[in-house]
Amino acid sequence: MPGIDVAVRQILIIILGLIAIYAALDLFWFRRKTQKSVYRSKALNVLIFLSILTMIVVSARLFTLPIIIQILLLNTVDLSILILATTAVVLIFKTSVTTNFAQGMMATFGAFFAASVVMKLIANGSTNMTLILFAGLFAGIAISFLLGLFIDVMIIRKGKNVNSVGKQMITMGLVMVIMGIIPVIFGSNPIVLPAFSVDVKIFNIGDNPMVIPVQNLYAIVITVIVLAVLFIALRFTKWGLGVRATASSETVASMMGVNTHVITAMSWAIAGGLGAIAAFFYASMGTQVQVASMVPVQVNAFMAAVLGSFGSFGGSIIGAILINVFSSIAPYYNGTWQLVIVYGIILLIVLAKPLGLFGKKIAKKV
Amino acid sequence: MMKLKNILANFKKQFSSISKHPYFGFIVLGLVFLFALLLRNMGLLTISVINTFTLVMIYSVVAMGFSLLLGFGGLASLGTAGLVGLGSFIMGYMHGKAGISFTATIAIAIGVALVVGLLVGFISLRIEGMYLAIITLGLGEMLRQFFISYDTFTGGFTGTSLRSFKIFGKLFESGNANYFNTVYIIVIICFILAMVATINIIKSPTGRALLSMKNSESAAQSMGISIIKYRLLAFVLSSVFAVLGGALYILHTKFSYPPQWNLSYSLDILAAVIVGGAQSIYGIIIGVFLIFGLKVSVLNYIPFFSNNPALIVIFNGVLIVLVVMFYPGGLIRLLQTSWYKLKIKLAKLKMKWRTYRYGKDDQ
Amino acid sequence: MAKMINNLLIKVYQRILIHIEDKAKFKKDYAEVVIARRKSRTEKRVDNLKENLNKEILAKALKYGIQNDLTETFINEKIKKTEERFYWKKRALKASFSRELEKAQDKTILENEFNEKSLILDNELNQEINDLRTRYANTLDNQEQYSLEVKTIENKTAEKIKKIERKSVDNLEDYQEKTDNKLKRLEKQAALFRDKLFSLADQTNIKDYGLEEGVILKLDNLTMRFGGLVAVDHLSFDVKEGEIFGLIGPNGAGKTTVFNCITKFYKPSEGKMYFRKNKIDTVFLNDYKVHQIIKQGIVRTFQNVELIWELSVIDNLLVAAHTLFKTGFFGQLLHTRKLHQEELVLRKKAENVLLKMGLYAYKDSYPLGLPYGILKKIELARTLMVEPKMIILDEPAAGLNDAETLELAKIIKMIRDEEKVTIFLVEHDMGLVMDICDTVCAISFGKKLAIGTPKEIQENKLVRDAYLGEE
Repeated sequence: MPGIDVAVRQILIIILGLIAIYAALDLFWFRRKTQKSVYRSKALNVLIFLSILTMIVVSARLFTLPIIIQILLLNTVDLSILILATTAVVLIFKTSVTTNFAQGMMATFGAFFAASVVMKLIANGSTNMTLILFAGLFAGIAISFLLGLFIDVMIIRKGKNVNSVGKQMITMGLVMVIMGIIPVIFGSNPIVLPAFSVDVKIFNIGDNPMVIPVQNLYAIVITVIVLAVLFIALRFTKWGLGVRATASSETVASMMGVNTHVITAMSWAIAGGLGAIAAFFYASMGTQVQVASMVPVQVNAFMAAVLGSFGSFGGSIIGAILINVFSSIAPYYNGTWQLVIVYGIILLIVLAKPLGLFGKKIAKKV
Repeated sequence: MMKLKNILANFKKQFSSISKHPYFGFIVLGLVFLFALLLRNMGLLTISVINTFTLVMIYSVVAMGFSLLLGFGGLASLGTAGLVGLGSFIMGYMHGKAGISFTATIAIAIGVALVVGLLVGFISLRIEGMYLAIITLGLGEMLRQFFISYDTFTGGFTGTSLRSFKIFGKLFESGNANYFNTVYIIVIICFILAMVATINIIKSPTGRALLSMKNSESAAQSMGISIIKYRLLAFVLSSVFAVLGGALYILHTKFSYPPQWNLSYSLDILAAVIVGGAQSIYGIIIGVFLIFGLKVSVLNYIPFFSNNPALIVIFNGVLIVLVVMFYPGGLIRLLQTSWYKLKIKLAKLKMKWRTYRYGKDDQ
Repeated sequence: MAKMINNLLIKVYQRILIHIEDKAKFKKDYAEVVIARRKSRTEKRVDNLKENLNKEILAKALKYGIQNDLTETFINEKIKKTEERFYWKKRALKASFSRELEKAQDKTILENEFNEKSLILDNELNQEINDLRTRYANTLDNQEQYSLEVKTIENKTAEKIKKIERKSVDNLEDYQEKTDNKLKRLEKQAALFRDKLFSLADQTNIKDYGLEEGVILKLDNLTMRFGGLVAVDHLSFDVKEGEIFGLIGPNGAGKTTVFNCITKFYKPSEGKMYFRKNKIDTVFLNDYKVHQIIKQGIVRTFQNVELIWELSVIDNLLVAAHTLFKTGFFGQLLHTRKLHQEELVLRKKAENVLLKMGLYAYKDSYPLGLPYGILKKIELARTLMVEPKMIILDEPAAGLNDAETLELAKIIKMIRDEEKVTIFLVEHDMGLVMDICDTVCAISFGKKLAIGTPKEIQENKLVRDAYLGEE
């Protein structure tokens, strides 16, 4: 597409200008202030926001807004998957202070189960496709839920004084175990998983016709419902309070009478369920379930959690949205280097804000 | 007669003092591996065993660098795969295609490792803990994408292959028996050198500084240890080891293709270090053998496992999980404690036999 | 212009002087280590020779049937061994007999058998002892030959020992002379530079930032703000050289923050800190980074013990000596001889420090699991490794019981007197502060309330109000 080089150049020039303005402000203004760090971090926030804005505005000039909206609409299923995976990662991080490398595998296991249930039902002569798929989805969620529960109760908690790196290692071992178990249970061939619908819906924004696959609508609706329920639970139930207490300090929480075991077990279980939904949609996007399919999603989810900060659900969801926007627009700039571009942007942002966009620093007392 | 006895006793004394030297074990290990080559040339060992040994040695070099970073510096990194890949492609392109001499290529590889290590080190000054691990994971993925996309350097999806190499003016072509032996010996030498370097660093002020940085940053700083310097140093060291490992890898396997340097390789190195014991060189070698070598050299010969290849993966996974759950110090700690326990048990058995033979002491 | 050049020269000379002094000190320490090692080695060799001599004399005595102390003990030992052997035989017999006794029906036969067997054993024992005695006693008694041969052997070994000793003494003297010469040369050089330095320093007005005579640390309007909170508020005081200075105040008064500012863990929002490094050099602490503070001569301990848990106690002390290692990274990578020498010297030094602090027994143990009082002492010992000018103690008595606190007070005084350092401490334990401090400064909410001798502070009304709450 012509004009891309120009756009890249424009973006670079504007961002460099912004950085120059920031440097100038730092040199001549903040340095004299007594509370330099406060000024600096605020200015950095503005800088990051303006940089992202420039990218969007310049891209919008290049692609025109409807095209961007169209691109984003086509990627909504990716977005839902990423948000679900990120939420699961953050949920486990909050309660167990570890990054769960087995997240993708737990999810894939659920998707395999869902797909095999769907296959069985079809073979048994059921005809209502939507109902079958929903049955499969719920079966997948249930099995991943149980798997998460099992992993926390039977494995993670049984270890002797395991620190957070140790827990990471355990989840890595679990990746291998589940990866080995899947072909034993479900056979070594990929299983077909049909989509809810292959139709597309066409509607108009102004004069521009927009296309959105019906499958994406299903994904969005289910994701929104699940997240809404999760957030309500986090905010208003005793479990949610427990999660927040455990996140701030597990020992203190357990001393105050919070049953942290139940809290972490439930978190693992729910993370498993969320992952299963994500893997279900990911699989039906590619029409079949594969063992290694969730790995890139998982990496992206980790990056999203870092971008938005591990500490907050809202932040990490915003991180996921940003990554989705970046990675759906980046291919139009440069197809081969899209991953490098997206991760490069994330790296720069995180360098500016080491604890993510929404992270808060806790000073260590000496 | 008396004199011979004296000489023997003297020799024993000398030997015991030599055998306590840390290099002694390394050289013995190297000789054992060399002996394996001899056996292979006599036709007593299969080629796959030798291949396993070579891979174990190469990956041990990488893992030792990583243990300096994780076990001593306390810094987590998941971008090892990218660096190893980088080393292999530098070797493949610079030496194999561009025809730069062997030593110059190694120097270039070390220089590149230095730059990359410094970059990651500077990143680590701002980003810490889990965030750093995931950002390095992202860096590794970026490197992989770079390998795939920049095909003049790496050959893209088809990868790079190395047909011959020239060292000290001698040309070695692949397919020749000499090639295999030379590479094996080079790998052994590098392996021993890496172990010596690692133990020297561990037993020197640098090693103590790294450990104190891991344990308490404030104490380290107040004792005059510059955090910036030692973080950079840790990353530079680990990346130099990783890049050298990559260069050895392509010498051995003669090819390297980008998609193989992915997250799971980094995780395997991490697992090897943790499973074996992050602060012991022998532990690392054991860990590397368990993760990378067990399948090829042992499990493939057990019919139960060779019939169900999926079980090997499960076995590896279960092994990692169990070791981390119950032996946080790694397998080397397990070996040490079980040796100790065995000694106690033997002493008890002896006591039992004595009471049976001679009756109780108070009789 | 001239002043600038002079200042520059002063800096250069100082560098050189420090370098030479360090070198000389290292040479001296290393010589001590080497001499001790060589001495012990000669002693070992001499002991070995003497042992051999005894063995040979014994052999001769046995050969010629001479009876003296040596042969007596030799034969007695042999007899003892045989007796022991028979003792175990008897015990085995007894045990097997008691085992059989349980099964057997006819006990009298068994008992008879046992008695018979044990009698046989006794006889055998006597037989063997007699054999031994006769074997070593009934050879010819050739006194003259014996004494002749023994004398020659003795002379030989005596000569050998003399030779070895003379050689070692010569060697040591040589070594001593060499190192002495080297040290003298170094000292000459050092004296040269010192003279130059002092004359230069006299000529020029060196920057001492207006520090009064005898003041080692000066805080001028130190202020530290965290966001809106003012933790330290325009605090200024002087610490005099060689005194024990106590900083007290109620909880949250900002005492530890003052320490963190001095050791640069925090960057002070305002204010200046000066430290007199030596006679000539006064440093502006604001310019330095955390890890450079120790090189200026200030070491600190921490409120909650910060030791390196994965290193043994002596290695912890060596970590503190990190700045004293002069070998570069590549030297360490190759493990050069210089590094080896440095390690020897510093290890010896660490052992001395441990001995002085009464911690030698814990030398090779790991700090994890040691009692809290010991950990605090290890932290204190750690500060002594670099021979600092000033030690900063952050609540040294926190978590100690009364007896330990008393001991701590003694140790702190001892350190002050023996090492000639200034000690600056923050403490809650009023008894300790009033007991050992020469000057006490009381602060509240970051502001200075009073400064003076412990007695003055005790009687100060402001301080009392701050502690007890205003009435």
